[in-house]
Amino acid sequence: MAVCAKSVEKCVFSMRLSRTLKLQNERFLSTSLCRLAAGPPKFVPPSKPVIIDKTQTVASLRKFLSPEFIPPRQRTDPFKFFLERKDMVRRRKAFDIPEFYAGSILAVTMADPNANVKTNRFVGICIQRGGKGLGATFVLRNIINNQGVEICYELYSPRLQKIEVLRLQKRLDDNLMYLRDALPEYSTVDPEMKPEPCCPTGEVPVNQLKVKMRPKPWSKRWERPKFNIQGIRFDLCLTPEAMEHAQKWAEPWREYDMLKEYDTSELEKKIFTEVQEEMNK
Amino acid sequence: YHYYTCELRFLLLIPAPLVGCIRTVKTTTWFDEHLTEDNQKFMKKSIAQEYDKQTAENLNPLKDEPWERHEWTEGSRRVGLVAIKLGMAPIWTKTGERHVVTMLQVQDCHVVKCLSKEEYDGNTAALLVGGKNVSPFHEKFFFNRIYDTFLLQSCFICLSGTPLYAAHFRPGQFVDVTAKGVMKRGMGFKGQPATHGQTKPNAGRSIRTQDPGKVSKGKMMPGNWVWRVNTKYNVLYVNGSVPGHRNCVLKIRDTVLPTRSSTILNPPFPTYFTNLEEDIEEDLYDESLFVHTDPSITLT
Repeated sequence: MAVCAKSVEKCVFSMRLSRTLKLQNERFLSTSLCRLAAGPPKFVPPSKPVIIDKTQTVASLRKFLSPEFIPPRQRTDPFKFFLERKDMVRRRKAFDIPEFYAGSILAVTMADPNANVKTNRFVGICIQRGGKGLGATFVLRNIINNQGVEICYELYSPRLQKIEVLRLQKRLDDNLMYLRDALPEYSTVDPEMKPEPCCPTGEVPVNQLKVKMRPKPWSKRWERPKFNIQGIRFDLCLTPEAMEHAQKWAEPWREYDMLKEYDTSELEKKIFTEVQEEMNK
Repeated sequence: YHYYTCELRFLLLIPAPLVGCIRTVKTTTWFDEHLTEDNQKFMKKSIAQEYDKQTAENLNPLKDEPWERHEWTEGSRRVGLVAIKLGMAPIWTKTGERHVVTMLQVQDCHVVKCLSKEEYDGNTAALLVGGKNVSPFHEKFFFNRIYDTFLLQSCFICLSGTPLYAAHFRPGQFVDVTAKGVMKRGMGFKGQPATHGQTKPNAGRSIRTQDPGKVSKGKMMPGNWVWRVNTKYNVLYVNGSVPGHRNCVLKIRDTVLPTRSSTILNPPFPTYFTNLEEDIEEDLYDESLFVHTDPSITLT
């Protein structure tokens, strides 16, 4: 059998050779032929496939200054905020605090002395960003086992292990506390959610979602003009008369109050450059 | 303003604001009496610049030789500081607990005058410490500093013109912080409402009366823990709230409570000198305090 196989091999080889010769006659400059002529073909490993991990959040290239850097309008010495900013930048160098807004979906891992594994991961929608300076906070809301849960995290607390932005988006309002009185489906987030890709440049997408509310009473009268809420479908829960009645508490003169003017654009630019310089040091 | 002492007030013959009086005696000369408007403006501007420069360089017109260093002995009394309250901020410990601190800035603190035993009252020596630059053109102030007095046991270490820094106090010790007020404030002693039939609204609150005959456990007592000292900007981070409003002038001393004076371990005595002592770090932290440059804490 073995002899037979050998002879067959030889035969095949000779046939191949003849074919190659033919080919050589046909095409002189052929790369494959050159390789054949050099000797037995070497193993060339296939090039590694480039896996683009779309779940990885890319570092933002947007010009973004976290709102807690802007000092409130008061008589405190600006030097105090300068000192706090130094500490905030130090913390941001050691711990990655991403860009996010009210309405974004976040996952926060925190060291918890009362948990079994000493860490606790919570996924929820950010409904509010509060506080200035080192005491800045954000509130995450989710519905777990039909029970609304809200956790207020301190942004600069050393117990925070990781902040992931699962979906970067804005909503129509800066404060989504009205989700407490909305139908539960609007504040339910899957705890196993994977991070969604987002382009690092350009405008942050605004989710134009308008929520349906539960029947009254609500925790606050959201239809009043002082809240100025865009993200509620009032036409489903309130009559036009009630909406008109709420305008009774409108204070249209407030916008002309010059004592309450606080233009932060200049301040923001100054602080932004200062923070960038410190971060790049 | 209570920060100038009564004696000084009489010495300088400041006309007190007399309400409903027929005539007011002016015995002082005003700075703008013989000046044109342009000159007044120039004076204000140039003197403000001069003061800022002096503050920045820690120069003092009264500058003298630095004090001699002494060894700290138990029971000695050190000079205190006059500081400005900046505001409050949170801090975290290494175990993740959150505390609130008050930031107190020592802006331009100098020993202005030293009074020996005989000069003061025959029992104790005293130091006059200035804490803040004040415009000499302001109608009410005839001197350029806000003062406070500190009583010391002896005056052999005192030389006027010595600058005082925040590194005078070290993290891990207790300090007493006081401000102007009719009652001792800071631990919820807020007295009673000012109106609605009250006759003694400033009476404050007592620690305990005769009936229980003891001080209840956990009673808040004076003394604030120093968490952190920033030596570059001269800022003290003191635990909890202190009396006074923001930008208020405060008096800080080593604690006088006998139970807490044991926290004062080998402080710079008589005070901290920048040029004599070895270089200290920009930030002095308490051992249990979380430093913001460290990675996040993990609990085990």
